[in-house]
Amino acid sequence: MSALPVVGLLLGGPRSPILGVSFLRPPDVPKKAHSGMTTTASQPNPGSAGVPGGAAAPYAVKLPAFEGPLDLLLHLIRLNEVEITDIPIARICEQYLEYLELLRELNLDVAGEYLLMAATLAWIKSRMLLPPDGSEDEDEGLDPRAELVARLLEYQRFKEASEELAARPWLGRDVFAARGPEPQPAPEGEREIEVGLFELVEALRRALRSAPTEGRAHEIETEPITVRERMIEVMRLLETRESVAFEEALADERRARSRALVVATFLAVLELTRLAALRIFQSVGEDCVPRGPIRLVRMGIADGDWKARIADVM
Amino acid sequence: VERIEKRRSVEALILASSEPVPGARLAELVPGASPAEIRALVDELNAEYAEQGRSFQIGSVAGGYQIRTLPEFADLVQRLQPGRPLRLSRAALETLAIVAYRQPVTRAEVEHVRGVDVGAVLKSLLERRLVRIAGHREVAGRPLLYGTSRRFLEVFGLEKLDDLPALREVEELAQEGVLGAPPDEGAADAEAPAPGAPAPEDEFDEAFEGAEPDEAFEGAEPGAKLH
Repeated sequence: MSALPVVGLLLGGPRSPILGVSFLRPPDVPKKAHSGMTTTASQPNPGSAGVPGGAAAPYAVKLPAFEGPLDLLLHLIRLNEVEITDIPIARICEQYLEYLELLRELNLDVAGEYLLMAATLAWIKSRMLLPPDGSEDEDEGLDPRAELVARLLEYQRFKEASEELAARPWLGRDVFAARGPEPQPAPEGEREIEVGLFELVEALRRALRSAPTEGRAHEIETEPITVRERMIEVMRLLETRESVAFEEALADERRARSRALVVATFLAVLELTRLAALRIFQSVGEDCVPRGPIRLVRMGIADGDWKARIADVM
Repeated sequence: VERIEKRRSVEALILASSEPVPGARLAELVPGASPAEIRALVDELNAEYAEQGRSFQIGSVAGGYQIRTLPEFADLVQRLQPGRPLRLSRAALETLAIVAYRQPVTRAEVEHVRGVDVGAVLKSLLERRLVRIAGHREVAGRPLLYGTSRRFLEVFGLEKLDDLPALREVEELAQEGVLGAPPDEGAADAEAPAPGAPAPEDEFDEAFEGAEPDEAFEGAEPGAKLH
């Protein structure tokens, strides 16, 4: 999990007696078993907070939530007022491990990524201790801290970028939009799909696969199919119902399914969407990837209004 | 007089739309107005609102125009809204920033930058429709690619992705160290205790700003749709 509460005040010295225990909730409510610190943290038992030093007095354990090992390291670097490019790795490593140790004593689970970072720090520390002339190594000459510093700086960049995002006027928090008729909420388990050109072409390709290809070279359409006609047909289907399956809209009782029909219907649906006469829904799976049948849902437009809109554009 | 009528038409259309109206669409609907003229008409309207001390402005967001209340009315207007105002946890904001600047990006790439698992956070950003799936990367396993949505632009008041402020250069950050970096945290750092001394409490409160449960991003409205 991304967030881990870390015992902060104790950095100042495990012996500082401070009253009360306050656990703060990590920003991400962890749901997975391996990050069960929420349950632990929500029912703190001061007695179990076995802090090194062993004093019986309750300790203030205020847990700032860190967004991960990189965030914790940045915090330590800041606390120690050291240069990020010249981290006193032994000191920082020691403090980092102190944090993890405290967490363990508090019976809080330490997420794997924190342990991985601890191993990295220990590795760097050992490399720093090696005499500089151990020339067999191909990494020779490189500061063993270089990669970590690069990652910290990269993380810091995005941390700042996220703070800039946070400082913008948000719609729905700082500013509010004047809105016309509200679009209908998406049915349960489905959501509107936001698609680009490629997804649309892919959908068209799939639809065409189900239409027979015209083998004859000189087929003459006696009754050409127009997009406008298909728009009217789709809206007719929606006159009596809230929604229809896209598949259903492709059917036409008067004609066999042909490529021309599929293409015209497809364009009609897109045009109706552009005109906000209907909206397109598709189910999403657990992973939020749209899949399953596509449904067309009528927008709440006054009767006949869409006809005027169609007439406008065609 | 004709210009005043056009200006009023533009205002009416923007006001009554449920989402940002593209300039080209306005030009289609307002007789005799070119897209360039629309921009000028919007500027005139905004100047008029400012002069009259109105409580709103027309913003250029997500490729269109939208009438929005001024930030000074945030607290007031929030009380009118059903649900809680939009909130994003720090984890969500960091993830969103990485997706915004690095898109299209895989989950593994985001995790590399943040140093933590981002599965749950990405999922909730997808559910909030701030992030969308932008395809697959054509490598082994075809991992999903993530990008930001139109709704992201709308929520953060950006006309297009290029309007995101430039990321700071790594060299610049390295020079200045982490110390002076963000203004709010920087202030706390100025008074940071020497190592070994107990830290003042507000330092830790600082670490909490915006740290809300992910579930708390309420106030999400339906917005972007197929275009």
